[in-house]
Amino acid sequence: MGACVGQLNLKDVKKSFGAAEIIRGVSLDVDHGEFVVFVGPSGCGKSTLLRMIAGLEEISGGEVRIDDVVVNTLPPVKRGIAMVFQSYALYPHMSVFENIAFPLRVERRPQAEVEQRVRTAASILKLDSRLHFRPGDMSGGQRQRVAIGRAIVREPSVFLFDEPLSNLDASLRAEMRVELVKLHAELGATMIYVTHDQVEAMTMADRIVVLDGGEISQVGTPLELYHLPQNLFVASFIGNPKMNLIKVRCEKVDDAGIEVALPEAKGTINVPVDRRRGTKPGHALTLGIRPEHMTPDKSDLNLRLTADVVEHLGAQTVSYAGMSGMQEPFCAVHKGTAPVRIGQALTVGINAEDCHLFDGKGRAFRRRVDLARLAAAGDI
Amino acid sequence: MIHRFRWYEYGLIYLAHLLLLIFILAPFLEALLVSLRPLNAIFSIPYRFVTPDMGFDAYVTMWKNVPLLWRYILNSLFIATSVTVLALAAIIPAAWAFARFEFRGRDAFLGAFLAVNMVGGAVLIIPLFKLMVTLRILNTYMAMIVPGAAFTIPTGIWLLRSYLMRIPRELEEAAWVDGASRLYILRRVIVPIAMPGIVVAAIATFITAYAQQFLFALTFNSVNELSPLPVGIYQFFGRQRVIWNELMAASLVGILPVLVIYVVLQRYIVAGLTAGAVKE
Repeated sequence: MGACVGQLNLKDVKKSFGAAEIIRGVSLDVDHGEFVVFVGPSGCGKSTLLRMIAGLEEISGGEVRIDDVVVNTLPPVKRGIAMVFQSYALYPHMSVFENIAFPLRVERRPQAEVEQRVRTAASILKLDSRLHFRPGDMSGGQRQRVAIGRAIVREPSVFLFDEPLSNLDASLRAEMRVELVKLHAELGATMIYVTHDQVEAMTMADRIVVLDGGEISQVGTPLELYHLPQNLFVASFIGNPKMNLIKVRCEKVDDAGIEVALPEAKGTINVPVDRRRGTKPGHALTLGIRPEHMTPDKSDLNLRLTADVVEHLGAQTVSYAGMSGMQEPFCAVHKGTAPVRIGQALTVGINAEDCHLFDGKGRAFRRRVDLARLAAAGDI
Repeated sequence: MIHRFRWYEYGLIYLAHLLLLIFILAPFLEALLVSLRPLNAIFSIPYRFVTPDMGFDAYVTMWKNVPLLWRYILNSLFIATSVTVLALAAIIPAAWAFARFEFRGRDAFLGAFLAVNMVGGAVLIIPLFKLMVTLRILNTYMAMIVPGAAFTIPTGIWLLRSYLMRIPRELEEAAWVDGASRLYILRRVIVPIAMPGIVVAAIATFITAYAQQFLFALTFNSVNELSPLPVGIYQFFGRQRVIWNELMAASLVGILPVLVIYVVLQRYIVAGLTAGAVKE
């Protein structure tokens, strides 16, 4: 494969359909060789943003640069990108070989070169033995590989993936995830990947861009997003099961952190976060605690709950319990096959250092977490 | 939906089919019978289904009686084929544009096309005639082909458009991203995928062109050698009498090409006409 350059810069990129603003000013710098995932709920504009980079949607405002060239008005082929679509977009009347060769045929490359480049791409994707097949005779995973092959032969500087795995079943998806990560390592090319599946984002990305309502909510490595979500949206979007968010009242603010009281006098907890000017006792805040961060012993605060629903997954047990101050049930993940039963009281402990705290506008207080230490400890 | 019919319901359904088929096929049967009878037995009263001396004589004598008959049949085929080719050349790109691209006045144009179909050729014969005189194409094949194509294009666009709208947009976008031009996409992606729809449009156009050529041939052409079958068949109208048996024989032979095409391609027609009716 040829040397790929692959730098992508977005500067205040906007998109509007009539009066509706779909993308409200997105700025982002992607380095050569990075695997960046755009993630967000449906309708957040992630696909639109990708299509704007691809040149399939017009850019209403701002600037898209690829390899330091403004590409706003360039047709897709001149942008040095290749795109893989959700539906694979394979040509049903052509063989796998011709599907992969399509971009080269458009460029009228000599037959020998076409042969050679298609075979190289096919061997990377393990499609060698299936080049004479029609897409209709192949499984979903194989079709997706053909679609990726069509992108590879062009040797683009930037690969764009639009939810490429969402048409596959769960086990195949996991398999293809691994293959895509390997492919990224092998090609060393810049990849932009759109998905609504936060597991895909967490497992594949060098950096994740969380989009919400046409704006970037947060950009960061998977661990940053997990441990240091900057706002409620990211906090509840990243992680599965979702983070528990409890409405609490600020009791005391000092250098050690912020002490908050849970509703119905369930107790207080002193969360070690950096204080922010204007946060005073009496303010309504939101306390966040991930379901997997429950400790059975030596905790800073014990909560007595009654489980409504219990899911036994073998490796872990998930319980859901009603809790005042929460819109959704309080979710707790217990290790192994825990003796949790529906209707029975259970005690879960939470540690202050695992807690997140958000102000009335949903902005997070900075937690005192050392990401490097967490990564070293393997706490992923 | 699951349908379970009772025996008498099946009976009624088949009865309805039978009535419809009789209604449609009776003229063909009568044409066949007439073509097999000697001329003097055709008007026998009372009507008899089988008359004496039936045979295929008319199928032989018609070629001698009207020596240019083969030429008329070939003319018919040639005109209908030319109309189809010419019309398709316009229908395919137009249908794609109407199916895919947003442009001002698109729906108005589509509506106008339907309106043209409602008006029909007969109303426009005189202006068309003047046009032909100006263009000096009166009494040529062109005079019969061009209006024929013009009147079949709107229906063709409507037919093919609904088929093209079913082709996923991502296929075109993928080709566009890969650097293909619009014409390249049309040629290498859209046309091959839309082949069943195009065949339907072609057949519909051919049959219409075959049927409607009488009007244009009668008005825009007076050269005997260029006449298609429907006009040429008038040669069987003698001064004193009409040679009905040969007339019917010639008609049936003339219908044959369309019949063959229809039978061979009918699976496309059924698939194409219902395409897009149900979301898959």
